[in-house]
Amino acid sequence: MEFEKVGEKRTTLHYFAITFLLLLVVMGILLPKGARSLVTHMMIFSILAMGYDVCFGLTNQCSLGHSVFFGAGAYGAIFSILHLKVGILPSIFFSMGAGLLLSLVVGLISVRLSEAYFVIITAIFFAVFHLLAMDMTWLTGGDDGLSIKLPSISLGPETISLYNPLVNYYFVLIFLAVSYLILNRIARSPIGKIFVSIRENEKRVQFLGYNVFRYKLIAFIISGLFSALSGGLYALTLRYGSADFFSFHWSIMPVVWCLIGGLGTLAGSWIGVVIMSLFQYYVSAWWTYYLILFGIIILLILRISRKGILGYVISRRLT
Amino acid sequence: MNSDDSLLKTVSVTMRFGGLTALDDVTYSVKKGEVRGIIGPNGAGKTTLFNVITGELKPTSGKIFLRGEEITHLTPHIICQKGLSRTFQLTFIFPEMTVYDSIWVGVNSRARRPWNPIILAHHTADLSQKTQEICQLVGLEEKMNELASNLSFGDQKILEIAMALSTEPSLLLLDEPTQGVSPKETDNILKVIEKLSKNMTVILIEHSMDVVLRLCHTITVLNEGRVAAEGSPDQISKNEEVQRVYLGEIS
Amino acid sequence: MGIVNMAHGDIYMAGAVLSFYVVGMFGNFWLSLIFVPAIVILVSAPVERFVLRPYEGHHSSTMIATVGISFIIQQIALGTYGGIPKKITNPWPVSFNFLGVDYPGYRLLVACISVLILAGLWLFLYKTSYGILVRASMQDREMAAAMGIDVNKVLITTFVMGSVLAAVGGVLAAPINQVFYLMGDNVILLSFIVVIIGGLGSLKGTLIAALSLCSLEGVMASVLSPTKARAAIFVIMIMILIRRPQGLFRD
Repeated sequence: MEFEKVGEKRTTLHYFAITFLLLLVVMGILLPKGARSLVTHMMIFSILAMGYDVCFGLTNQCSLGHSVFFGAGAYGAIFSILHLKVGILPSIFFSMGAGLLLSLVVGLISVRLSEAYFVIITAIFFAVFHLLAMDMTWLTGGDDGLSIKLPSISLGPETISLYNPLVNYYFVLIFLAVSYLILNRIARSPIGKIFVSIRENEKRVQFLGYNVFRYKLIAFIISGLFSALSGGLYALTLRYGSADFFSFHWSIMPVVWCLIGGLGTLAGSWIGVVIMSLFQYYVSAWWTYYLILFGIIILLILRISRKGILGYVISRRLT
Repeated sequence: MNSDDSLLKTVSVTMRFGGLTALDDVTYSVKKGEVRGIIGPNGAGKTTLFNVITGELKPTSGKIFLRGEEITHLTPHIICQKGLSRTFQLTFIFPEMTVYDSIWVGVNSRARRPWNPIILAHHTADLSQKTQEICQLVGLEEKMNELASNLSFGDQKILEIAMALSTEPSLLLLDEPTQGVSPKETDNILKVIEKLSKNMTVILIEHSMDVVLRLCHTITVLNEGRVAAEGSPDQISKNEEVQRVYLGEIS
Repeated sequence: MGIVNMAHGDIYMAGAVLSFYVVGMFGNFWLSLIFVPAIVILVSAPVERFVLRPYEGHHSSTMIATVGISFIIQQIALGTYGGIPKKITNPWPVSFNFLGVDYPGYRLLVACISVLILAGLWLFLYKTSYGILVRASMQDREMAAAMGIDVNKVLITTFVMGSVLAAVGGVLAAPINQVFYLMGDNVILLSFIVVIIGGLGSLKGTLIAALSLCSLEGVMASVLSPTKARAAIFVIMIMILIRRPQGLFRD
């Protein structure tokens, strides 16, 4: 049974992603310290980007509240280490647990609203969490934040520590690879097809016998889960978390990453992460008002194609 | 439970939008195996009737029964699961999905675990077979890998029908399946509908009297939200009031 | 019009910043009520036409585009006006004593001007023929276009009017609060809430919602911290949307 050309495009992207992951494995050893640190951060953001792509790219739910999950994931890890004295891996579970819980609550309230209201209410959730996080400094450290000391991980007789940048790098890489494989499988599975059909024509899907709200909610929760994972990894990498993790920056960047890379492509968003991270890193050093360029970039990408730069290039090649 | 043998029955269904009465005390029933046509001038309430039956709108008053079970207040997706499927007047498809995938989504809704996140969608053997069968039935098997948005308008209308079929309905509601389609493609569509009507009950909204006279066992005429006439094709075509209503509209 | 303009708060800020410059150049605050609307009209009309118009129908694209615009406006303000909040001197430093409480004259003046503006807006929308066109396009754009209304002109007009109102709001607010390049962030979500609670398209509802929410926030701020009071308002909003996803008032 031969399958569609469209599937073919995705398979090409899949090979690109696998190759890129293998490249990352090698780069870990070869990169100089500063670059390696930057790449570690970019890998963490890629998880956030993929998570958001499930929400925006696969089911067309434009949430502006994902910073809630990112921040919650960060603080989930931090609180579990600080107050519950758990190890590194358990702290990740706490991150994801926080993300799961919050995305369930936020989702139950927001997902059933129509497009515009959905955007606004997710933005309001962002605002509530950001305001409270800034205000309740006794809990969160406000924008000064909380620092933590990382416990080491014991692997049998050996103990390794995330304080070793190499260990940190590969730790994050493993999570990126596993997240990608899981999300990719979900996207190509029956439920993934249902998500895409919801994006293409939400009303029609109802008339095919599906409870659309339930599926949109599931997508939203998956999205929140991985966003929280990303937040947890970020807190562990920085050994620090602050109310800034709830700021609008973390809500809007995933949107830009996904738009650049192509909505719904999952791995495409990594391109968005790389471009925007490098852009921020270099241009901000040279021009303080680089955010103007940022705004212009947003306008330009939207103009070119909602499918992102990648999607645009591919659709030019298919037709 | 069900004293009559109707598959679908509406009882005194009225639909009011503010000051406008779209449906006024519509009572009618369709038997299993029938091919029922619904005709009427623009604005007569034909599509509104479909919207009410499929659960998209809640009638202002009245009830709707499917196989004796009341479905008036159920949501569209549950009604679809009970075996009622429809097409839409304007093609309402998945633009960026292939023909195969579009039909597959409907077939999948009948699967035991449609929400499966682990297996690959393309490896679902039994679903794949059903999807291909439907493609063959409607004559789209050569275009299975085409993106829906690349199809010709007539083919898109056929895809609409295929998608409605994918959920294994016992009752199929077709909303103007030949509207805006070229004569050659119209013939194609009609052949498909004829094939279908052998195995399932069909309600067909149409504007063209020819189509309705050719395909239907019984015809209901709606005018201004009310049932103006009902009968066999023969009776309807001779009905004076119908002719009056259609004056200038008969194609 | 169905657009969520995330840059709306920054237009408000731009109005305040521009009035700061007007005061600096001409020494007269009230002149900004002439200059600012003029500048805003000149800038917002082409923005609507060239930047926002292409995304018609795609709500999420429009919203993100306005986020982009928001960044641009904020950074321009930061670059020209600077990051330090500055004050404009009170243009009417009188004070009225009523029943033992001092009421600042300028704030009363602002209240009066706001009422006048709202009244003017209401007159425009409900009493003039152009206003009727605007309201018709708002309710059903396709129908309006079918009736020969130049919907594009209406789109530009509403966007420009909305922007002018925001900017004038900023001008009036400038002497009361400090002028700061991020002051838009403070008002934008609140204005969304006010509009949603008041009912999209309902002037009366918006007014009632605005007055009640601000009074409520003021009262709570005296008990909790101002930040918590703001957060509380947001939470109330969420709870309202849980119960009534379509807002409180209808048009």
